[in-house]
Formats: sequence, structure tokens, C-alpha cells
Amino acid sequence: MITVRDLTVTLDQTRVLHGVSCQTPPGGWLCLIGPNGAGKSTVLRAAAGLLAYGGTIRLGEADLGSLRGRARARAIAYVPQAPVLPPDMLVADYVLLGRTPHLGYLSRPGRRDRLVAEAALDKLDVSQFTGRRLEQMSGGERQRVVLARALAAEPSVLLLDEPTSMLDIGHQQQVLELVDGLRRSAGLTVVSTLHDLTIAGQYADELVLLNAGRVAAAGSAVAVLTPGLIAEVYGARVEVRKGHDGRPVVAPVRNVQ
Amino acid sequence: MKPLTSAASAVLAACALTALAACGSSGSSSQPSAQPASPAPGGGPATSSATPAVAQFPVTISAPGGPVTIKAQPARIVSLSPTATEDLFAVGAGKQVVAVDLSSNYPSGVPKTSLNGVTPNVEAVAGYHPSLVVTDQDANGLVAGMKKLGVPVLVEPAAASIDEAYAQITQIGQATGHLASAQDVVAGMRANIAADLAKAGTAHSDLSYFWEVSANPYYSATSKTFAGSIAAMFGLKNIADAAAKAADGGYPQLTPEYILSAKPQIIFLTDNQATDGGQTPAVVAARPGWPAIPAVKNHEVIAMNDDVAARWGPRLPLLVAEIAAAVESAAGK
Amino acid sequence: MKPRRPGSRAALIGAAAAFVVAAALVSVFVGAANLNPVAVATALAGKIPFLGVHSGLSALDSAVLFQIRLPRIVLGALVGALLAVTGAGYQGVFRNPLVDSGMLGASAGAGLGATIAIVYLGGLGPAVVPVAAFTGSLAGVAIASLAGAIGAARGSLGSGPATLLLAGIAVGMFLTAAQTVVLQRSTQVLQQVYSWLLGSLSGASWQQVIEILPYAGVSVAVILLHGRHLDVLSVGDDEARALGINPRAVRAIAIGSCALAAAAAVAVSGLIGFVGIIVPHVARRLAGPSYLTVLPLSLLGGAGFLVLADTLARTVLAPAELPIGVVTALIGAPAFIWVLRGTRAVDT
Ligand SMILES: Nc1ncnc2c1ncn2[C@@H]1O[C@H](COP(=O)(O)OP(=O)(O)OP(=O)(O)O)[C@@H](O)[C@H]1O
Ligand SMILES: [Mg+2]
Repeated sequence: MITVRDLTVTLDQTRVLHGVSCQTPPGGWLCLIGPNGAGKSTVLRAAAGLLAYGGTIRLGEADLGSLRGRARARAIAYVPQAPVLPPDMLVADYVLLGRTPHLGYLSRPGRRDRLVAEAALDKLDVSQFTGRRLEQMSGGERQRVVLARALAAEPSVLLLDEPTSMLDIGHQQQVLELVDGLRRSAGLTVVSTLHDLTIAGQYADELVLLNAGRVAAAGSAVAVLTPGLIAEVYGARVEVRKGHDGRPVVAPVRNVQ
Repeated sequence: MKPLTSAASAVLAACALTALAACGSSGSSSQPSAQPASPAPGGGPATSSATPAVAQFPVTISAPGGPVTIKAQPARIVSLSPTATEDLFAVGAGKQVVAVDLSSNYPSGVPKTSLNGVTPNVEAVAGYHPSLVVTDQDANGLVAGMKKLGVPVLVEPAAASIDEAYAQITQIGQATGHLASAQDVVAGMRANIAADLAKAGTAHSDLSYFWEVSANPYYSATSKTFAGSIAAMFGLKNIADAAAKAADGGYPQLTPEYILSAKPQIIFLTDNQATDGGQTPAVVAARPGWPAIPAVKNHEVIAMNDDVAARWGPRLPLLVAEIAAAVESAAGK
Repeated sequence: MKPRRPGSRAALIGAAAAFVVAAALVSVFVGAANLNPVAVATALAGKIPFLGVHSGLSALDSAVLFQIRLPRIVLGALVGALLAVTGAGYQGVFRNPLVDSGMLGASAGAGLGATIAIVYLGGLGPAVVPVAAFTGSLAGVAIASLAGAIGAARGSLGSGPATLLLAGIAVGMFLTAAQTVVLQRSTQVLQQVYSWLLGSLSGASWQQVIEILPYAGVSVAVILLHGRHLDVLSVGDDEARALGINPRAVRAIAIGSCALAAAAAVAVSGLIGFVGIIVPHVARRLAGPSYLTVLPLSLLGGAGFLVLADTLARTVLAPAELPIGVVTALIGAPAFIWVLRGTRAVDT
């Protein structure tokens, strides 16, 4: 459903991406991994239509560049790594912003929009907070509210940049299971970044390991998550075991003198 | 407008005549309070700036801001005050004036420069190598700055009464070596004003007036101000007096509602010229609600000579004549 | 802020509308002319068709009521509404609650325009001053926007609103300095220029009301229709674009209509400060940050506030009058501090 070919991005006269290619079918989950500064967020920002880029990004058959703002926003929801959260805004109003791509220029959110927003809040287990201001929420609660806003857009592609960085292990699992369920039931295509390699391996169909703006490796979790590649790209010492489902478990190894 | 113009030219002609006639005996009350006073009585013709002035200098003038000593008759005078400029030319010191500020516009042909009297630049003033500077306010350290250069500065601030205005003219005459003709100017002014008062009468407490300084918002002048004191000589009632507060310095802002309900019988516009507001009688008559005011109904809205109304110089008789004409007309109704 | 109850938006807007009516009613019965309240009420009732009530006011009192007091109330409401809604709009555009209706060179441009008119164009009559202030205000915003666009294209602050805001401050200072230079050329008009700068509604007339109504109507309609877009802008340009909104277009439209509204207000009233900051701030305190509510609430609140402020301006020292800019600051500043008392630090 989303196909990226030879993506190049130059920011501030610095080339940040040097021909990145990757793709995922409808209902698939593509996970970008790689060290800090590798270019993961940049790929997502390009796919969200926020950056000028070289190469092509296709949504199904349509070229991303040919889609106008609202049509693109209806198809793709984007959760940035560091969302801007107006401190005074009510949770309910914030999630309702997710309906923006579905509203005509001069129309206002209606009953259906509110129902969809409420359902999204429910799914992310934050419906008890609707009357609160965003500043009154914990980091993890905020992250779930942001996800609820993305789901309220009823997109076909979900771009998630570090969606679980602030969640406890229980909520991490809950959120990822929710996204996983949505892609299976509703055919939602997911492109995410995740720093936890084990979790990335558990949920994604396809991992793309980025290093300095280039694809260092791509494929299944078993193929990408090897101690050798991880040592080379991250400079980290890890051991990789096989989990009970056959997927790799990546564990750091302390350097004992 | 017609009676005004003729009155004005009559006054001007009278001024000129008295200045030329220069009959030595001037009123004693206009005697300057200067140290080496007693100028030669019945001095030469006022227009002659070549009057031997040696005897009169050095002279110490008791100016409002403190005594100012002038060592010799000043040959190069800079005026930073439109009133002082008028005074200087009226007393016959015009030929000594080398520069006047940008607001000085009377008499015609004054050596107008870009000098600014409100925010004077000491170096720019010094550039004219003055031997005397006359101004109406000591702004931007002018007096201290000129003192360092050894140039006396005569500060003649806005007069609070007509007698102060006379005293300033005499002082300027004394400071420039034209005391006798200054005394003649003052005497002529007194005579003219007295004649107008006698003709129009001084007991018009039944006539009320609104003195418009500016419109939107409406600022007025009370009887405590210089202009108000001139109108008060006719006994007129000033509608701004009831509205005056200590803090407004005699210039209260009036609500239009109050102006209407005070029903003034005369309105004096000192903001009617293009350069200072353009509030002509026609503009006033078009203001919403104003046609209900007696002054507007009876066409007693007077477009004053705004410069004369704002100054306290030798053209005061013209101001008095303008008021007198309005009073005579309004009293006849 | 307590959890929002359903219908509270309608209730707040209804309360604000009631506030405007109450302010106008208070205002119509007081004034330097001390009109008899019963006579005023009868005279007003006499304007209602088919009621057949006859006014007991004299011709002069009737002129005071219908040609001076009433147009002044209506113009005050209009100007207050414009200033407050403009302030709220700019605050949404710049995501900064301290931005005012005079931003982006609007006030400074109006001041320069009025001063040029007073100093150089006096020959064309007093009617030229509002036109010049209106034009100057719009020109100020246009220059600031141009400077902001150049800064955004070349500068380090990016294309966000911060560059534009800084450009506006610089342009405002430049225009104010230019105004001072013009004033230096003609010091006789100092008084005239300064009383214009202090702001006043004392020249209010039905004609002025009619003259600014089209600009006010169009600009206010456009601003109100963009409340939702301003809400979206509050999550930043990137996320707004990801939501399908073009932040630059929204900003350009909002700034354009705010500039028009502010210019219309400034043309008939001079510079009246504080309304554009304090009224939207109170609206936010009451209704939360959504511009869907803050904009209409500011519109009504500004109308009522300025009518009350002008009522004080023309009665406190009656029969003298206080400059209205002084009144808005005198009651606005303490009220603002009182409001800030309960404001959290994150607001700014
Ligand atoms: N505006 C910019 N101008 C220049 N360089 C930039 C800009 N934004 C990001 N970069 C650089 O681009 C590179 C890729 O950044 P990106 O945010 O995509 O990294 P990332 O893989 O998401 O890293 P992280 O894991 O830390 O989030 C980094 O080296 C970063 O310094
Ligand atoms: Mg990143």
C-alpha cells in the first residue's frame, strides 16, 4: 500500500536521506529502526507530506505528490515524535482535531465526528480524561491521546514516530496490540519507528534498518536483528535469543572487564 | 469673515502707524524692570536699527527664567519662538535676526530655517554664530549649552496674562537695543485693545462661548488660560470653566454632549486652518447634533486666525478685534 | 478549567450578548448632558414603529441623544468588537496570548498615516485623517508581512509565525520613528496628533458607523469562519499540514481580515490599547482555548467592554472627558492583573 523509491531528502543543505527504498502491502506493518540521527523520522515526515523530497512515494497507485492536502490527510495520519500539545486544550477538543481532514473548509465537527472521536478515546483507554486539559495529563496519557487523535482520522495509513516511548510495559503492549488489531481487522497500513528492537521484531512484518540515511538491511526480524548488524550499525553489544514464537529477543550485554 | 478681515487690516495699519510715529511718551506700566534702565526718552525713530545703542549696553534683563545679561547690542539674533520672532520684527530688531525656527511664519520674509524650537539642537543653533538667542522654552539643554559658548539666551515662555505679553515685548526691545520703539509698540497695542473693548463693551456675562483648541476629542481653553483671559475682558462666560480640573492645565477635554447642552452662543475655532485641523465653520455645522447649538444656528462660529490665537505677540490687537466683532454681532441678536 | 458541560458554549455566548445589551442600556441613560431618564426611555420607545409614543425631549436634547450619544454607543461597540476579535485572531495566528490588535505595524502605520495627513494634507479637510489612518494601518501590515516573508525565506527562524512577529515589531518601530520625524517638521500639530494617538470616540456619528460597517462585517465574518483553522494551527505548522490544513494560507487569510478589522477600528477611533489583549484573555479564561468559542466571545465582550469604558470616559470627569485609551488602560491593567492572578505560567 505504501511504496518508497529512492527517497532523498536534503535539510538545510545537508543530505539526510540518500536513496531509501522500502514498501509494505495493505494491512502491513513496516518498522524503521536505526540509531539516533539515522533518518527514521525524516522518512515519516516525507511520507506525511511535510518535506520536499526526491524519488517517489506512492500510496497504492497514487503518487503522494499528486494528492492535495486534505485528501492526503484523510489517507495518512501522522503522529510525530514530539507532538505539539497546547497545554490549555481539552482532551476532547484535541482528539476532535483528528477529524479535520474530513471537514469541508467552512464546516464544523458534527455528531458523527464526535462519535468517531469518542470511540478513538475509548479504544486508547483515555475516555475518562475528555474534560481535562492536556497539561493535566501524564506523559503516557498524552501519548495515548495523540494516538487517539490519529485514529479519529480513520486513515488507511498510520505513520507513528516512537509511539510508545513514554508508555509503561502494559500500555506499550496494549497500544501496539490495538494497532495490530486495527491493521488486521480494518486493513490499516502502519509505518512506525520503534527503538525497542525486540518489540519492533514482534509486531512488524518488515524491518528496515537505517544507518546514516541509507538502508543497511531490510527484511524479516530474524534476518535484520543479528548481533553482527546491530554491532556494526549501533556499536552495541547484544545477544539475540529466539523467543517462544520464534521471533528474536535482543538483550544488551554488559561489558564486564 | 468680511468684518473680521477689515478689522484685522485696520489693526495692522494702526500698529504700523504708531510704530512709525514713535511719540516718545510710553505708558509707565510697560517700563521694563531692568537694572540700567532709563533709556533716553524720546529716542530716535523706532524703525532705525542704527540707533546708537552703546549707552544701553551692557543690560541685564529680568526675564521670567532669571536675569540675563547682554554685553553689547546683539548683531546676530536667533529666534526659536514664533511669538519672539513677531516681537523682534515689531520692535525693529528684524535686521539683526539671522535665523528663526521652522514654526515662525510672521511677518513674511523672516529668515526661516529648519531649527526646531521644541527640540532644539544646540550645535545647529550655534552654527548661526548668534550673539543672542530668544526662545519660549529651555528644551534639550539649550540654555546650558549656549552658556558654554558665551551666548545669552532670553527665555520668554507663553504669557499667562496680557501684561506679561507687554512685558515680554519691552524686554525684547531692551535686549536688542530697541527699547523705545518696543514701548511704542506696546502703547499702540494698548490703545487699540482699549478702543475695541470700549466699542464692544465689557459686560457680556449673558454671552457664553466655547473656545475650540482641537476637535475629536474636543479640547478647550478655560478663562485661566491666556486666550481665555483675553475673552474674559469682554465679560464673556466660558463654558469650559465648569469642566476644568486642576490637572488639565486650563485645557480640559470636553464631551460633545456637554458642549451641546451648554448651548454656547459663540464658538471660537482656533483649529480651522488646513495646517492645524481644518475645522472650519462649515465642518462644525456638519457635525452631528451641532446645528442645535445657538452659535451654529446663529452663524456665530468664528474662524480665528489660529496663529494669532496661539501666540502672545504684537498681533494681540487682532485677536481682540476678532473677539470684539463676534461679541458685537452676537450681542445684537 | 472544569470539565466542559454541554451547552456551555451557547450559554457563554448568550451571557456575553446580554452583557453588550446591558452595557448599552447603562450607557444610553448616562452622560454629561443629564437627560431625564424617563424622557430618554420615552424617546427611545418613540423610535419603535407603531408604538406611537411621543418624546418629551427638546430639540437640543433629542440631538444629544440621537446624534451624539446613540451613535457613540454603537460606534464604541463596533470598535470594541473589532479590536477584541482582531486581538484574539492574531493570538491564534501567532500562538501567543500577548499579541495585540495593533501588531504587525498596524497601529504604527495608522499613526504615521494620521500624522502625515495632519501635517501635510490638512488642506484636504479633517475627513482625510481617518482615510489616511486606515490606509496607513493596512500598509503597515503589508510592509511587515513582506519583511516577514523575506526574513522567512532567508533567515534562520524559519517560515513560522515568529519571524513575522519579529518583523512586525521592527516595522512598527520604524514607522513610529518615521512618524516622529514627520512630527518634528511641524510641532504646531503635536497636540492634534497626540490627542488622536490617545484614541477617542468623541467624533462618533452615524456616518462613521455606516462607513466602517462593510469592512467590519466582511472582516469579522472571515475571522469567525476561521476559528476552527486557528485551533488546528495551535498544534504547530507541521501537524496542521499533516491534518490537511495549509497553515500559511490560513495565516494569510486571518492576518488579512484582522488587518482590515483593525484598520476600520483605528480609522474612526484612533489608537485604543488593551482591548485586544484583555478581552480575549478573559474569554479564554471563561471558555478554554478553542477559538470556535473565544472569537465570538471576544467579539461580544469587546463590544460591551468598550461601551462601558467609553461611558466612564465621558462621565467620570463630567462635564470634562477622559481620553478613552486612558480609561481602557486604567481599568484594563488592574483587571488584567486580576485575571493573571489565576493564570498558570504555561499560558505564556
Ligand atoms: N532541519 C534540519 N536541518 C539539518 N539537519 C537536520 C534537520 N532535521 C534533522 N536533521 C538531521 O537529519 C538527520 C536525520 O534526522 P531524523 O530526525 O530523521 O533522525 P532519527 O533517525 O529520527 O533519529 P532519532 O532516533 O534520534 O529520532 C539527523 O542527523 C539530524 O541531525
Ligand atoms: Mg526520530
